[in-house]
Amino acid sequence: MDNLTAAEPITDTSEAIEFSPAEESGQVTLSALTKRYGTRDADPIAVDNIDLHIKAGEFVTLLGPSGCGKTSTLRMIAGFETPSSGHVAVDGVDMVSVAPNKRPMSMVFQSYALFPHLSVRQNVAYGLKLKKTSEKRLKEEVDTALTIMNLIPYADRAPHQLSGGQQQRVALARALVMRPKVLLFDEPLSNLDAKLRVQMRNEIRRLQKRLGITSIFVTHDQDEAMTLSDRIVVMNQGKIEQIDTPERVYRRPSSIFVADFIGRANFLDATLLTDPEGHRARVFALGRERDVETHDDVTLDGEALLMVRPESVLLTLNPEADSVHGEVGRVLSVIFHGESVEYEVETDSGSIVALVSDAAASEIFEVMDTVSVGIKADRGWLLPVAP
Amino acid sequence: MTIPLLDSPATGRGRASTPGGNARKKRAQDPSVIILTTIVCAILLMIIGFPLFGLLSSAFAPKGLEVLGRMVTDPVNHRILGNTLLLGLVVGVTGTLVGFLFAYAQVKVKFRGKRALHLLAMIPIVAPPFAVATAVITLFGRNGAVTNGIFGWQADIYGLPGLTIVLSLSFFPVAYMNIRGMLESLDPSLDEAAAGLGAGKLRVFFTVTIPMLVPGLAGSFLLLFVESIADLANPLVVGGDYTVLASRAYLAVTGEFNMQAGAAYSLTLMLPALCVFLVQRYWVSRKSVVSVTGKPAGTTELVSAPIIRVPILILVGFLAALIVSIYATVLAGGFMKVPGVNNTFTLAHYQFVLNGLGSKAMVDTTILALIAAPIAGIMGMLIGWLVVRKLKRASGLIDFVGMLGLAVPGTVLGIGYLITYNTPVNIFGLQVFPALAGGSAILAGAVAIVMVYVARSLPSGQRAAVSALQQIHPAIEEASTSLGADSATTFRKVTLPLIQSALLTGLTFAFARSMTTLSPIIFLTTPGIKIMTSQILAEVDSGRFGNAFAYCTVLIGIVLIVILILNIIIRKVVFRGQSHRR
Repeated sequence: MDNLTAAEPITDTSEAIEFSPAEESGQVTLSALTKRYGTRDADPIAVDNIDLHIKAGEFVTLLGPSGCGKTSTLRMIAGFETPSSGHVAVDGVDMVSVAPNKRPMSMVFQSYALFPHLSVRQNVAYGLKLKKTSEKRLKEEVDTALTIMNLIPYADRAPHQLSGGQQQRVALARALVMRPKVLLFDEPLSNLDAKLRVQMRNEIRRLQKRLGITSIFVTHDQDEAMTLSDRIVVMNQGKIEQIDTPERVYRRPSSIFVADFIGRANFLDATLLTDPEGHRARVFALGRERDVETHDDVTLDGEALLMVRPESVLLTLNPEADSVHGEVGRVLSVIFHGESVEYEVETDSGSIVALVSDAAASEIFEVMDTVSVGIKADRGWLLPVAP
Repeated sequence: MTIPLLDSPATGRGRASTPGGNARKKRAQDPSVIILTTIVCAILLMIIGFPLFGLLSSAFAPKGLEVLGRMVTDPVNHRILGNTLLLGLVVGVTGTLVGFLFAYAQVKVKFRGKRALHLLAMIPIVAPPFAVATAVITLFGRNGAVTNGIFGWQADIYGLPGLTIVLSLSFFPVAYMNIRGMLESLDPSLDEAAAGLGAGKLRVFFTVTIPMLVPGLAGSFLLLFVESIADLANPLVVGGDYTVLASRAYLAVTGEFNMQAGAAYSLTLMLPALCVFLVQRYWVSRKSVVSVTGKPAGTTELVSAPIIRVPILILVGFLAALIVSIYATVLAGGFMKVPGVNNTFTLAHYQFVLNGLGSKAMVDTTILALIAAPIAGIMGMLIGWLVVRKLKRASGLIDFVGMLGLAVPGTVLGIGYLITYNTPVNIFGLQVFPALAGGSAILAGAVAIVMVYVARSLPSGQRAAVSALQQIHPAIEEASTSLGADSATTFRKVTLPLIQSALLTGLTFAFARSMTTLSPIIFLTTPGIKIMTSQILAEVDSGRFGNAFAYCTVLIGIVLIVILILNIIIRKVVFRGQSHRR
């Protein structure tokens, strides 16, 4: 079945179909949103006083480790959980007092949650039927949604006769056909295998771009968040750590937690030599003085760490072990990934992970080789150490 | 942005417990849930709450208190109480053993005729309470066809021995189903794991299998205990001098016309029944260690070793033969002039039941049971849904009250109805509804009978619904909500179709239980409404066993036919246009 899916990604034939919501709408605002399970002050806080404004048509991902409050937040937006305090608003209209079935949103579930007793077509038509749509409109709309999702050949099948990817597309079609102002995704791809996941997320992204529906997507998979989102909301322990574009979240994380959670990072001891000015400062790190970009909270008298992504580490063979070019290190391990080679290098500044891509066979170092360790220009990011 | 933020200046911690936070919670609750909950609560109050309250207030009236006082001082009452508990204990052990034997043979032992054995074990569920007792007297009583006719004994089975046989054979299906379910869901890989760690077969049996079954065995024992101390029909027929609380309460009400004393005896009976029920529900079921993963991870290895197989099959075979002979007696007895004494063929008994004086009972009972079954079935589904999905704090209480129809002995419920509904119900001097029970009540007391039927048969449907709902992922219902359906629509269009087999089970049991229930009914039949089970009692009391057998056979027939029709209807309606079901 999966071969079938792979053979027919969403094609351009459907591109002509008009399916976007009529007007530019779908701004979502969360203000001081808090969820506490239980009523006592000692009860744990799942979502702690978060503020977030999502623009119309924006694709925002809530990303974080399990238990960080991202799903609770989504469920409060959908109305399946009642906030302990705070507000959810869509286009300025308060949603908290609106029953979940009256909110202008549709949700796509992790388990797909297709109705097993209904066919694909009946599943997609379910919501419109409740809206008392005329028979003709209903058929048109359902056909459009099925066409967009390339499900026409499966319209009369039962959900269990479909592959995982097809089921997921039915779930998406069922949500889209309602023309919601906001689409909510609760880890919808986590039940798919790796290849299909990549394909589905590309489809979701393309579709969302084309239809311009505001989308809120919950995931713990940073790859998904990176590739799908206009902005990523990184959450930890009920609080928002950072709201930024994927690139900024990756290159300029706001905290050591974010830097560590998204991708991999080396954290190097760094001594500030000048007061940070215009987001730049002069530091001594990895054996020499360097000009680096700095986080707002870095101060001359505070502690700071220099974050360097493994792919930004520069290794050069240095058999003489002279420290003119910076730190000297010794290769501890070599792992061949195929598209890149990963090294662990022991230096005076600690153990450093480096990722070298597209290396020729002759350029690959061996264990116990002595190397110079540097950082590619402008790749370091100075982070404050939380007091 | 025009969000009304100004009215909530307090932010962050500590706001959860402010009044604002609580008011918000109420607003989010779906109105249809509130309406449904109100309806369910009102019905539960009517069918269980008020009668129990009436019973309690009567038991604590001066006359009732006098009897309650004598429960503590009077040695006669001590003996009755002792008799009741001893009966519960003996039947609990015997019935669980029989159930275990049948279940073990069914699941673990290799032999032919499993399906027949299963059906045999299910017959008592659809049979009225007197069938076994009367047949046992005919076969094994003083002039029994077997004891006297074959062996020439003057056997005395009245009393504890007879009750043990009759009640164990009547109630063991509960234990059988319970234990069979557990044996089937035992993951064979656990056995294999234990064997892989070096344990021998016997060691596996005692250290893995038995501990896993303990909750099932204990639960069965407790259920049988409650059922047997609550039973009224059999103590009346084969009890002899062995008086138990249920029959004593019956005597107080119908013989001595002392309602308060009846209430007091009932209360005494209700206490152990409720305690055992609570233990079963909140302790044993929590101890359950069986891992329900949906499907067993492998196929169970059937026992073929003769050391285990032969004795079990001999015992089960003997019991099966006993059951067959009993129901054969019921079947044949209906065609005999005086069963066991004058075995000449006659159609007079069936003439009486189907065409003569007895036919009104047949029609009345069937109609009332047919009215009660859907009410009980749908109530059960609704309660299950509210309890599992919709309600948080109140769910435990509603679930518990719903199950009271099973926990409270029928005798107790019947007397409670008699006390509460024999006169018009007034609240603050206002007549809320007219008398529902008794000959002078509206519809000759039929309303009370339907209510008692619903109360008695509600629990089985409710249990079925709860376990079926727990297997449906909540996201499926949330998806429906997300697509614009309110709670009632979601229940009707998504939940109900998915739990239809539980609904069918609920309806089936509701009908069978209504048709066969006696102990509460005996207090509620009126000259205007005749109920088969109480008619059977009258026939047995006056020694007309032939009529009783004919009644029993007809009753079993009706139950089986209705179950069959129910199956066909539900399958037709639900499967219409839906060939895609999982």
